[in-house]
Amino acid sequence: MEFAATVIILTCTYALLAAGIVILYKAGRVVNFAHGELAIVGGYVFYSSGLMINDSLWVAILGAIAFSVIMGIFIYMVMMRRLVGEPFYVAILVTVGIAIVLKSAIIVIWRAERVTIDVGVAPAIRLAGGATLSYMDIAGVLLTFAFFTGLYLFFRYTRLGVQFRGTAENPLLASQRGVNVNFVLSLAWIIATLAASLSGVLFGGRAFLSTESVTIGLAGLTAALVGGLDSLRGAVAGALIVAFAQYLTVRLIDPILSEAVPFMILLLVMIVRPWGLFGTMEELDRV
Amino acid sequence: MARAGYNLRTNYLESNEVLRRPYQRLLVALILLAAVVLPMGSSNFFLHLMNLCFLAGIGALGLTILTGFCGQISLGHAAFLAVGAFTTVILTVHVGAPFLLVVPAAAIAGAMLGFLVGLPSLRFRGVYLAISTLAMHYAIIFLATSYQAKFAASASAGITIADPVIGPFVLRGDFAWYYFLLAFLAAVTIMCVNLSRTRPGRAWMAIRDRDIAAEALGINLARYKLLAFMTSSTLASISGSLLAYYSNVVTVEKYTLDLAIIYVAMIIVGGMGSVLGCLLGAIFITLLPYGIDNLFAYVPRNWRFGSTIFGVQVGAVGVCIILFLLFEPKGLAEIWHRIETYFDRWPFRYRPLDGIRR
Repeated sequence: MEFAATVIILTCTYALLAAGIVILYKAGRVVNFAHGELAIVGGYVFYSSGLMINDSLWVAILGAIAFSVIMGIFIYMVMMRRLVGEPFYVAILVTVGIAIVLKSAIIVIWRAERVTIDVGVAPAIRLAGGATLSYMDIAGVLLTFAFFTGLYLFFRYTRLGVQFRGTAENPLLASQRGVNVNFVLSLAWIIATLAASLSGVLFGGRAFLSTESVTIGLAGLTAALVGGLDSLRGAVAGALIVAFAQYLTVRLIDPILSEAVPFMILLLVMIVRPWGLFGTMEELDRV
Repeated sequence: MARAGYNLRTNYLESNEVLRRPYQRLLVALILLAAVVLPMGSSNFFLHLMNLCFLAGIGALGLTILTGFCGQISLGHAAFLAVGAFTTVILTVHVGAPFLLVVPAAAIAGAMLGFLVGLPSLRFRGVYLAISTLAMHYAIIFLATSYQAKFAASASAGITIADPVIGPFVLRGDFAWYYFLLAFLAAVTIMCVNLSRTRPGRAWMAIRDRDIAAEALGINLARYKLLAFMTSSTLASISGSLLAYYSNVVTVEKYTLDLAIIYVAMIIVGGMGSVLGCLLGAIFITLLPYGIDNLFAYVPRNWRFGSTIFGVQVGAVGVCIILFLLFEPKGLAEIWHRIETYFDRWPFRYRPLDGIRR
């Protein structure tokens, strides 16, 4: 049971990250190398804004949401928007720059302290075999489910969702047909950073936040790639695979290897099936 | 004879000229002279900084070949440096090989690894290639970490390396290293300039600009892409090996993804695909942390935590990457070029034509 609990929480953490990476990739063909950093800084903001006003959970949630929204709009409107028509690597390298800046923010603002988010850590459900699920774990899992269901409904049934898909398909054509591409792409960044923050909070409750934990970005990227960089369904499947593999490695082989699992899977996927489980093969040729 | 302007090249010989403007020869001679004379009477710390700049320059020139000339984006440069450093460790600690054998061996190890890391480039372009180099980075660093955990006296201290011996000389102290590295960097720079205007360099640039067109021109994509990866990793590996000898200690903690990004920052700040820019960028990014350290002297005392300075030093690299990509995508080289153009046209104030660049 403990196995199931850990894997499910890890899957949620990675799936949220992977979903953000996939959404950004679909929206603007940008692979966000700053996603792990966004998640961890989101977690830190949640922690600190909660502390600010007498340990209020709602303030913490509001703080994290405000951070994600502002960050998403800022990254898109100030940086990414200018990079249309530039060579593909420019946008990637800008995200790499953002990653470094966010990491330095952790060092400057939070002094690179190890922080564990301790909201709702009281065990809510005791599972057979001594494992427990805390309130936050349950909330996280439910929110993840809600996030993916909401995303599915949004893309499938709403007008904006259709505009979203249109923009992903062909931004120029979409803008000519009256889609506000800037709005849609800002929204993509907001959704992605929101998901990242949620994942950072989940991760911070389970383990700890620090400058080293930004490597969960790599796990998220691996999950996205395993599922296919342009497939949201794949993000969940990929996250499950990465979480599963990580758990098994820690359990059966050696805990030291847990850090190594994501990139080993990444290498394997790159060799065997680089377009991922659900991705489209043609993506490989797009630059 | 009046010429149509320095940017207009009308025949093959002219197109291959490196220093076209009359004052450029003078300038290069002056810089070289200054570089040779400068160490007399300057402090050890200054020489130390210059040595770091030279080492960074060698590594950054490697990345310029790969990313600047050939257009293959790589986040694995730190891993190449690590390969050089750890080849040095293995050969000096376990075998006791001399300096003159170790550096070429590091170069060969780097080339072999470059071949391996370059293989995905035959299959992927763009984003996927960047991700595959990222995975390679982690894989190589993981191996290096395992090695260090096994063989280092203590895991955190790293592995010490003795000063290199070349014949009767011992390469010790910043002064001796300065001249050694200066000569080395000059040689590598000349090699890169010459590469850029001969067949491999032109093939790389054709691949960078449009790989399909390059293939149609008869360029063997696989061969030249792998060649770019191998040349790049060789230079990085040599730089890593020399750095290991220079600093006398190797720890895997140094070769993080951040280091790879710092090298990317060098070529961005300098200007993609420009050898001059690459050197300027290497100097700029290497000196940046020290500059920030000095700036912090003016900051109120209660703001001055050790970690704050470190954080700002890290973040400044990221800020540089973002600002240069957004506002000066061709980097310091372009700024220098603009100054040159201004004086070329003086007293007229023409706007430089688009598409003309050196």
